[in-house]
Amino acid sequence: MRSLLPAIIFTIAYALVSIGVTNSYYQLMLTLVPVWAVFGLSWNLLSGYTGLISFGHAAFFGIGAYTTALGQIYFGLSPWVLIPIAAMLGGIAGLLIGFPTFRLQGHYFALAMLAYPLAILYVFEWLGFQEVTLPMKRDAPIYYMQFSDPRVYTLLALAIMLATIVLTRIIEQSRFGMALLAIKQNEAAAEAAGINTLAWKLRAITLSGAIAAAIGAFYAQVLLVVTPQSVFGMLVSAQALTVAMFGGVGTVWGPVIGSVILIPLAEILHAEAGDRFPGIQGVIFGFAIICVILLAPEGLFWKLRDLLRKRFARSTAKTTEAPDVSRPAATVTPLPTARKHAATSEVVLEVSDLSRSFGGLKAVQNVSFKLHKNEILGIIGPNGAGKTTLFNLLNGFLRPNQGEVLIDGRDMSGERPHTICEAGIGRTFQVMRPFLRMSILDNVVVGAYVRAKTEDEARRLAADAVARVGLSHAADQVAGELSTKELRLMELARALAGQPRILLLDETLAGLGHGEADEVVAVIQQLARDGITIAIIEHTMQAMVRLVDRFVVLDHGAVITEGEPEAVTRDNRVIEAYLGKKWVAHAPH
Amino acid sequence: MNKTTRGLTRRTVLSGAAAVGLSRLAHARQPAEVKVGLIVPLSGIYTRPGQVMKMGAEMGIDHINKQGGIKALGGAKMKLVVIDCGDTTEKAKNAAQRMVAQETDLVAATGAYLSSFTLAVTEVTERAELPVLTLSYSDLLTERGFKYIFQTAAPASRQSELGLPTLMKLAESASGKRPKTVAMLMDNTATSIATAKALKEKLFAQEGLQLVVEEIWTPPLSDATPLIQKVRSARPDLLLFMPNAVSDAKLGLEKINEFGLGQGKIPTVSFSITIAEPDMLQSVSTEAVQGIMTIVANWGSKGQEELISELKSRYKEPWATQNVVSTYGDMWLMRDALEKAGKADRQAVAQAFRTMDAGPSKYYPGGQLKFDEKGRRVGAGVVIVQWQNGVPVTVYPPELAQAAPFWPKKS
Repeated sequence: MRSLLPAIIFTIAYALVSIGVTNSYYQLMLTLVPVWAVFGLSWNLLSGYTGLISFGHAAFFGIGAYTTALGQIYFGLSPWVLIPIAAMLGGIAGLLIGFPTFRLQGHYFALAMLAYPLAILYVFEWLGFQEVTLPMKRDAPIYYMQFSDPRVYTLLALAIMLATIVLTRIIEQSRFGMALLAIKQNEAAAEAAGINTLAWKLRAITLSGAIAAAIGAFYAQVLLVVTPQSVFGMLVSAQALTVAMFGGVGTVWGPVIGSVILIPLAEILHAEAGDRFPGIQGVIFGFAIICVILLAPEGLFWKLRDLLRKRFARSTAKTTEAPDVSRPAATVTPLPTARKHAATSEVVLEVSDLSRSFGGLKAVQNVSFKLHKNEILGIIGPNGAGKTTLFNLLNGFLRPNQGEVLIDGRDMSGERPHTICEAGIGRTFQVMRPFLRMSILDNVVVGAYVRAKTEDEARRLAADAVARVGLSHAADQVAGELSTKELRLMELARALAGQPRILLLDETLAGLGHGEADEVVAVIQQLARDGITIAIIEHTMQAMVRLVDRFVVLDHGAVITEGEPEAVTRDNRVIEAYLGKKWVAHAPH
Repeated sequence: MNKTTRGLTRRTVLSGAAAVGLSRLAHARQPAEVKVGLIVPLSGIYTRPGQVMKMGAEMGIDHINKQGGIKALGGAKMKLVVIDCGDTTEKAKNAAQRMVAQETDLVAATGAYLSSFTLAVTEVTERAELPVLTLSYSDLLTERGFKYIFQTAAPASRQSELGLPTLMKLAESASGKRPKTVAMLMDNTATSIATAKALKEKLFAQEGLQLVVEEIWTPPLSDATPLIQKVRSARPDLLLFMPNAVSDAKLGLEKINEFGLGQGKIPTVSFSITIAEPDMLQSVSTEAVQGIMTIVANWGSKGQEELISELKSRYKEPWATQNVVSTYGDMWLMRDALEKAGKADRQAVAQAFRTMDAGPSKYYPGGQLKFDEKGRRVGAGVVIVQWQNGVPVTVYPPELAQAAPFWPKKS
């Protein structure tokens, strides 16, 4: 794999350098750099990609360290066996910790994670393992991984690091990594795109725990002394965060860069300044980290990459700008005359008596309507009418208090969003939820996994969806650089990639200028012509009148009327809801 | 830089430091200096004890050099190499690796205060075959079958075994009757738990003591009231109060006084040097600590008056704790070994430690300047220290006592 080449070159270069170093102290530093890099990578695998910050990775690290220590003391096992066992235990611990803790989000998740290593620390103290030393094996040093040549430790640590990098790269480029990135950027959007977020998060924490435990086990072998503080302590968890955040979060290179710089820096400061100005090393180290965090909040890697990109873009701008102007104008077609509505065809989605209240506020009350195959249904109403709540009930973000959502005659109310997505319902969001650092195509691929069995198929579906919304020319552009219109279209493509039969579009036209809105409307009409059933929310009516076959009008959470556009726009109740009572008199009759 | 002569053959391949690989030129002449290491915490939360150990080492080196250095080496001066072992086990290990890799001409070292750090440091020095003296008292240190570690203090398991019977004798001789009941208030740190285990499983029964109150807290202690209330209602003959943080000690002692149990109403005994640290006086009054005793592995004692007065004038330390005296003594022990070895060579020095039999020890309580096959000092004893008029003074054993003990009588 071409993308692994830099990692392999780096590892070989590092190995060559370390083979040349004969000073045992420098060699120890060379061993610790990949050790902490791997620990950072394990943290990155969970927190870097999912965005769920773990302050408690020491829990796994310590479990690994104690596995090698106690396994040797009590069972005389070789560390060659114990490190894989440690990885297994770490994985199990990850699963056990993840299952309850993933119910929490954001800061609550981070704080809950903080508690695990601290709790385990006390358990190990209580068990009487305050100080454990690995027994010295003078007769079988290789079997017990006690090499007289410290270079062997460095090479082993490098091997573990390379394996972890390769694993991370594979994950990064597979649907696993895409799912994690999607969760990080927007868990709700990911769930709505058909990703079973809990399952992927559990896989991530299991794998992350296994790697952390394996490297913790190896670390014990290097340190030879295990104390609860040295493997479960706050500083250990912090080490993972520090190297990853310094180097760059969410990339395989981040923890490696962080570790290569910070671990020797801390030690050099300690060695050079520690006995003359005790404590100064902590001050300088802390200051360096603060500076980097301020100047490069996402880590060195991203900062450098952005700088390089900018420079590269400037030098190539002159040559690429010209042809870009003459690109064909998407799929803008003149608006066709009113489509023959399909209100008589079969019902694909039926909502009956649906209600949801938040405390005393009845956001949606007793709403019933039918969505017919191949129609475009407009759901309108003034701000706060309950439109988005209705969508959230339809796609599973919210559970209704009462009522049913029948998809093809089957009640799906209360199902998880990814299940509803699998059943063929795609949606977009009022507030756009793009994955900003990913390209358009990658953004859309996330939505394709729900249908695709293989990576290739997902790519194909995504490319197809991108073409349908007319964004093929910009498919490789990063989402952060797009205009509102392009983002709207990209979100549409992401929903389309899962090949839904029904699309729920939440204020897709919001924030668009007149010309832009027309382009988007054209795309939606084309989708309807291609056989997709669409429900669209808007609170402005102009564009909608030309687009939809039928309106359902909501106010204060209830349906006040439904029918064809001409009839609805003249309805007094609708005018009253939008403009107030006194305008009813002025309405044309 | 003066590189010492040392045959590479003796440094076996097993040693991690063998990979140092620096070729050394063979010198025929004796070194003008002999380097010894002090690897102690000089940054982080254990800085203070590390600094105090450094004071002891500096004074030891100065005194030895003033008396003509190492005579067997033609009056070579001893030189101290100070290495900061930081405040974590990993930093201690790194520092030790740096010590053996960069300071290749060390002949011996002492350290590293906390037993966890000493454990990590000696894992490195053992492989580099550098002899290390230590005042740490974890039993584990000398149970690993290591050949290059020499423990000058009585190991933890022995300290309570030695201390409690002594205390009982003291009580009996001073007050005329043996205590019958005991209350135990302790934090849940490793040392307290190890001590309590020995007490409960063996020593209380052996000494005929009945445990009437037992309370454990997790540091930091937030309120001592419920603990002391239990002690007051039980009225034991003896209170074992075992904090390991100055703040906990302060809270407990203040409450003991507030409840009118202080100043010996209930004789109070501790098992660590925390309660006798100079920091204590910054937070409690001299009245509050009056009479309180603690059982420790070493303390400034009779016959060390000059050392203690130099410590006061040179470093402004109010009295000599275990850290000063033991580290000072380590320097003399290294000198003895160098004189015996007759050459500045770590192997020879290690061998000298193993075979030395230098009679009664001057700077460690009890026993001999002699190590058994585990590396434990033969006959290592404990001292009992008592707060008297704002100073913790050694009151037992009699040959080391700076003052006579008083056993507070139950009123």
